Amino acid sequence: MEIKTAVRQFIAENVLLGIHQTTIEDTTPLVTGGLIDSIGMIGLVNFLETRFKVEFVPREIDVHSLNTLEQIDELIRKKLASQQAGAAGSGPQIR
Amino acid sequence: MPEREFLEPGSDEPEGDLLSDGLRRTAAAMPDAPAIVEQDRVGENRVTSFGELFEQAASLAVRFVEHGIQKQDRVALVLPKSTDAIVSVFASLLAGAVYVPIHPQWPKERIEATLADCAPRLVIEGDGSPPRITDRETGESIPWIAALAAPIDIAVQNSLPRADAGDPALILFTSGSTGRPKGVVLSHRAVGAFVKWSAREFHLCSTDRIACPSPLSFDLSTFDIFNMAWCGATCVLVPDHSVWMPRFLVQFVREARITCWYSVPSILASMLEEGRMAQHEYPGLRVILFAGEVFRGADVARLQAAVPQAVGANLYGPTETNVVTWCCVPRDFDGSQPLPIGQPCPYATVTMDATSGELLAGGDSLMSGYWNRPEDTQRAFVNLEDKRYYRTGDRVSRAPDGNYLFLGRLDRQVKRRGFRIELGEIETALASREDILEAAAVAVEDGKMGTAIIAFVRTRSAGAVSLIEAKAHCARILPLYMVPDHIVFLDAIPKGSRGKIDYIALGKIAETLDHISTSQAAPNQAAPDHGDQDRSPAVHR
Repeated sequence: MEIKTAVRQFIAENVLLGIHQTTIEDTTPLVTGGLIDSIGMIGLVNFLETRFKVEFVPREIDVHSLNTLEQIDELIRKKLASQQAGAAGSGPQIR
Repeated sequence: MPEREFLEPGSDEPEGDLLSDGLRRTAAAMPDAPAIVEQDRVGENRVTSFGELFEQAASLAVRFVEHGIQKQDRVALVLPKSTDAIVSVFASLLAGAVYVPIHPQWPKERIEATLADCAPRLVIEGDGSPPRITDRETGESIPWIAALAAPIDIAVQNSLPRADAGDPALILFTSGSTGRPKGVVLSHRAVGAFVKWSAREFHLCSTDRIACPSPLSFDLSTFDIFNMAWCGATCVLVPDHSVWMPRFLVQFVREARITCWYSVPSILASMLEEGRMAQHEYPGLRVILFAGEVFRGADVARLQAAVPQAVGANLYGPTETNVVTWCCVPRDFDGSQPLPIGQPCPYATVTMDATSGELLAGGDSLMSGYWNRPEDTQRAFVNLEDKRYYRTGDRVSRAPDGNYLFLGRLDRQVKRRGFRIELGEIETALASREDILEAAAVAVEDGKMGTAIIAFVRTRSAGAVSLIEAKAHCARILPLYMVPDHIVFLDAIPKGSRGKIDYIALGKIAETLDHISTSQAAPNQAAPDHGDQDRSPAVHR
């Protein structure tokens, strides 16, 4: 399934209960637009990892990479591509 | 007089009773020890020693004074919690000024309103390093201390103005019921009472590595930054992004070798649940403190099982009093009952209003008052036997063992994810949108999510405002943690016989909706395709 469609459906059904999916545009700001708060974000990130079989590393996700469906789509594509290339990065070490 | 008992030995000298004195003393005693560890954007650690922190802060303070900053002038810090922000805190205090932390992610409108309210002389802001410093009156900018300046002269240091312990040190803005945030003014003495007590009680020292994910605008952050300075402990800044991925927080605690953690319970709960905290060991973690909201008994027990060697403690107190009571998690705590808020801290006196059950809190940690709001300040306090008490608005009872138990609120203030929210402020925000004629908000307890906020609105006509528009409107005015979880469109808001909003009736609707929504939350059950909102005759979500 297309990434944006899957994420849109997840948000409509789990975060914004009762809203019709198509009203979330590709560029609708999810975090800065008040649609998803920090707890909602934990759920969304969990969903992305499970659904697309990707694993995020620290610093990869922030409000700039996850604020719109477009950005999420881009991030997941990048993740999938780098995983296919066998070049999945590892997180920085905290001293 | 309680305030005499708890001042440190040697406090007859002026040294020792200002929040900046700890830094001065520690920087002289152990200049090379790490004061702050901050992970930069590429994951490298930036370590600032006590010597560097003091030099930078003192040089900046000198610059402030040269610029004409007077004692008690406000310095607004619109900054993320960073090394630069902490330098700015101490620079303000060393200059005798008052720092006003403002969360940079607050909506612009709220930031501007807060600045207009506290009328700061200087504003320090910016995402990157170094931040920009602007004189709000003249528009002039003051350069940041770019590289580490040469050690500043003792004579110059001594020329810095010295505040009194009772003078304001910071102003924290919290949600206000009438729609305007209230500034809580806290003195050096008030914050110092809590810092010195917590240092002693939890044996904090220079080998400790303290982490507290709360932003500077939240009173919890007085714990890590001032205990760092007071005890010579290291303040390890929690990377911002990790709160979205609890397993990163857990990884952070492990890899950064945190010895003392202080946060709201919601964050600890997410670390236990999504972060699978129990799967790892934390040999160095010896103190876990939590405050700001109720921590479910079962989660406290899980935390204790996950980190068995750590001392856990529930700290209680609104921003206006900081921590006034506390309770250590008993070793045999089984989680079947909520943890009490406990017994008073030594610097605090607490009592209970016999009629209402309201907890009244007095003592050294009390706020000086609300900024610019004499009437609210007067209403906030009550005098009993010549002592000043803050009316917490929290309903409590007292157990036979003397511990206080939190029962709930006497007003419409709620806690969500540890953030304090006045429901009236949400209503004011919603009603300020064109086409929204009326708004009412209630909070319900949702087992999994904690506190959920449901707002009910009546619009000019059906469909005049969509759910997304209503939420986006809130997000333009309110911090994100105040945006309602659900917004319900009603044809009429239920009213009582005197025309007042019937919140009990709304609470009942909210609970039903919540039930409906959780049963609908199963994935892959697409909503019926009939437009923007599913409209039943009375309720449309």
